[in-house]
Amino acid sequence: MTAADAPAGRQLVYTLAITEGVRQALQEEPLAFMAGEDVAGAGSVFGIYRGLLAEFGPDRVIDTPISESGIIGLAVGAGATGLKPIVDIMFMDFIGECMDEIVNQLAKMRYMFGGKATLPVTVLTMSGAGMNLAAQHSQSLEAWLCHTPGLKVVMPATAYDVKGAIITAAREPNPVFVVMCKGLMALPGDVPEEPYTLPIGKANVIREGDGLTIVAHGRMIHEATKAADILAGEGVSAEVIDPLWLQPLDTDTIINSVAKTHNALVVHEAVRFGGVGAEIAAQIAELAFDSLDAPVGRVAAPFSPVPFSPVLEQTYVPNAERIADEARRILGVG
Amino acid sequence: MASSQASEPSAEVLKDLHYRMVRIRHFEEEAGKLMEQGKSPGALHLYIGEEAVASGVMVHLTDNDQITSTHRGHGHLVAKGGDFKKMYAELFGRETGYNKGRGGSMHISNVDAGMLGANGIVAAGPPIAVGAAFSNKYLARIEGRDRMDVAVPFFGDGATNEGAFHEAANMAAIWKLPVVFICENNGYGEFTPQAEHQAISDVADRAAGYGMPGVICDGMDAVAVWEAAGEAIERARTGGGPTLVECKTYRFVDHVGLRGIGLHYRTDEELEEWRARDPIPQHEQRMIEMGVMTAEEIQAVHDAVMADITESIEFAENSPLPDPADLLNDVYTPTAAS
Amino acid sequence: MARASVFDNQEKRAIVRRTIVGALASGVREFRYMPDTHGITAAAAEEFAGEANFVAVDSVRTASALDTIRAAEALQAEGCGAVVTLGGDGTNRAFALGWPDAPLVPVSTGTNNVFPTMVEATVAGAAAGLVATGQAPLEAVAGQVKAVHVEIEGERDDVALIDAVLAADRFVGSRAIWGGDRLREAVLTRAEPSAVGITSIGGLLAPLTPDEDTALRLSLGPGEGGVSVLAPIAPGLYEPIAVRSHGRIALGEPVHVTGPGVLAFDGERERVLKAGQAATLRVARDGPRVIDVRATLEYAACKGLYRDDEPPDGS
Ligand SMILES: Cc1ncc(C[n+]2csc(CCOP(=O)(O)OP(=O)(O)O)c2C)c(N)n1
Ligand SMILES: [Mg+2]
Repeated sequence: MTAADAPAGRQLVYTLAITEGVRQALQEEPLAFMAGEDVAGAGSVFGIYRGLLAEFGPDRVIDTPISESGIIGLAVGAGATGLKPIVDIMFMDFIGECMDEIVNQLAKMRYMFGGKATLPVTVLTMSGAGMNLAAQHSQSLEAWLCHTPGLKVVMPATAYDVKGAIITAAREPNPVFVVMCKGLMALPGDVPEEPYTLPIGKANVIREGDGLTIVAHGRMIHEATKAADILAGEGVSAEVIDPLWLQPLDTDTIINSVAKTHNALVVHEAVRFGGVGAEIAAQIAELAFDSLDAPVGRVAAPFSPVPFSPVLEQTYVPNAERIADEARRILGVG
Repeated sequence: MASSQASEPSAEVLKDLHYRMVRIRHFEEEAGKLMEQGKSPGALHLYIGEEAVASGVMVHLTDNDQITSTHRGHGHLVAKGGDFKKMYAELFGRETGYNKGRGGSMHISNVDAGMLGANGIVAAGPPIAVGAAFSNKYLARIEGRDRMDVAVPFFGDGATNEGAFHEAANMAAIWKLPVVFICENNGYGEFTPQAEHQAISDVADRAAGYGMPGVICDGMDAVAVWEAAGEAIERARTGGGPTLVECKTYRFVDHVGLRGIGLHYRTDEELEEWRARDPIPQHEQRMIEMGVMTAEEIQAVHDAVMADITESIEFAENSPLPDPADLLNDVYTPTAAS
Repeated sequence: MARASVFDNQEKRAIVRRTIVGALASGVREFRYMPDTHGITAAAAEEFAGEANFVAVDSVRTASALDTIRAAEALQAEGCGAVVTLGGDGTNRAFALGWPDAPLVPVSTGTNNVFPTMVEATVAGAAAGLVATGQAPLEAVAGQVKAVHVEIEGERDDVALIDAVLAADRFVGSRAIWGGDRLREAVLTRAEPSAVGITSIGGLLAPLTPDEDTALRLSLGPGEGGVSVLAPIAPGLYEPIAVRSHGRIALGEPVHVTGPGVLAFDGERERVLKAGQAATLRVARDGPRVIDVRATLEYAACKGLYRDDEPPDGS
């Protein structure tokens, strides 16, 4: 089921879709628990877990100390011994605190143990800039995770996808990072009431077109869609693809689109150098070189930490205008 | 335990403690209002209620001594002599701010005066302070000085649950570095009470695990902090190694901003009991009784600070914004041409 | 300033547990306790919930002495027959403010205490239990101690259990007593040569036991005809203390002091006296009734209180 097929009906904002996803994951799996900093009593600083403590009690919805290594370690140990941990790392920036647990333990344990361990772990974390929270509360670090064999990474940018991603992750026998977007917290969308999953590794084609493929993830799909609107007014038909899953990546959908449009533009909020977009561009160059009319374009953040000052942050974060500009440059129009 | 410190605070010290506390209080109250009016972007973690801690410690430090701060960092910078103009300008994201608008509240710094930054990462400060103290000891050795500069990390009760705190404490202790760990125990990490985030009541107990003295003082009394910190700082300066000083304090406002996100996690009675111990009126009352300052003189201090604030906010509001063309400046230090 | 505690919460919980075991052995079935933020006592109590009834009394949480004072009042109101305190001189002083003549077994949680003693909690609990259940009469096994009553002009009264001293300080600050040259006037309920603190000054000059029905007054600072005593006024600190005069005073006899200065009680600076503000110190034997653990258990032995003449089955 995709957003397009969902019956037009109940609307939920992104934050409440998160809550519902976690609630249903906990309801359907008695071995699932949720832990993180201020997730229980306070229902998270983002308010995304409100009501879960009341519903599931303190044995299943757990406030941890401020100990990110401990939180991921908890998930590794509990996951490897039969539970289904759902843990929260409040701001994605804080994964720096627990990179060993993520990279050397969570991601590799199964492989190192010759397939003898299973790590059904869900990590929820909030990414992204745009709220003037400066260099340590605004980053998009998904590339770090995608570069690590053993992890799956999904970056849902709609209310529908975020709920689906959480339930999918919770049912998945592998570690999955659900990288949420704080800039989208108030975004409403159709969200079915019953639990549902997303196909792992399947991209969303947000909008069809035949003149240019824009591949964007996270909050940037909304900017890319706006850019596509602008371009449509100029007679350019852009196809917008949200890979949604960055690991594993839906290469086929992207390549098929480029085969049709002959032009590709990759967009994300993370820094451009070494970003997920670099991988996507490389795959297009490898697999669809003959289809391309122009080199693959990229729009992403410049190579600096996220600045605090709103004027700088606005310059820093890509937007529809910049995407449209880059599209025009690739197409040699305007 | 008796102190090695020679004397009780002079009238000058008492006035200095007061001045620093009053500057913090007014700076923060105005900053909080500006945030709630939407004039100060981002999130501000205010220091209101905890002024005695930063002030009591900072009176002992010079610009050569370093501090590391927290997300709740304005108070530390103000107490270390922060200039309101540069501070408000930073909160407003202006080019004239301490960090040229690049850092904002959570990274506000003044490296020239040894203020190595507020920090958005809980417990990031202690290891950095250990590095600064290592440097202080190293430089004192090669320069043949027997008194060292001291590095003082400030951190909360919640921060002592991060591995970084423990690693720093251990390194400081084994190398006898001139570090004074100042724990601002305000009873909560965000919305979680201390009893739910650690199984000890006194953070100072953690000192024993690293082989350094742990002391507790009343963080609502600037003189108590001044005494406790003074003794520890003097010991650190003269090669006696680190100390963990726990200051029992309280934040009068919410975790973020003045009113926060409206969660009810502290009782009104608790708030009232701590507010009754507000460090500023308590200190003022005492100075009046001792004849150190008159009520009029105290009022004049408040007025002067408020005037400075008004002028500084105006300065900040009229300051230029950073030029987006400069976005990539300062990512790296330019490499010297060979 | 206060040192980090000597006993961590884990150890305190073990002590509470042992106290309960002792009290249960003496037949106590009703327990009242002061709740603490970390649920130390509650956790221990939970373990024994099947064997006795445990109820926490109302208390406040201010991270100050007020918490103990309120709890003491509440425990008295509950009609407790004996109380085990776990802490140092400061804890017991606060307790005495709330319940002045409480029947107490003060168990020390540090080495630097004069009032509470280092006693194994199991037998401390047993002794408290024997008194609480009326098996050992309080009058037979406890002695009421002296206390210094402090009246401060225009402010609430205070109390000290060992010594009250006026120092030429101006701040409570970090509480520890400063150098000995600032001490001015002291009133002691006991003068112990082997203790640490102000009491040792008297102790090294003119010892006074807790049992004697007098108090000791010291006028401190240099002066005609004075002496100097090298005394351990704080742990790790021997200082020559100038004593102008010293002498026994009768119970009830007032000692008047005037500010400015700071009054320290049992080794900690507590109250600030403003310039010209008067305070009166007076010793009376109306403090806590301290249960002698050894005497209580000797009494139990004499009476065969723990003895059962029916040997267990099969022996
Ligand atoms: C590594 C890290 N984890 C979590 C956070 C989110 N956070 C910000 S402040 C805070 C509470 C800190 O508590 P404490 O150390 O007691 O300081 P206080 O806010 O009480 O001054 C938390 C969890 C963070 N900024 N960094
Ligand atoms: Mg705190």
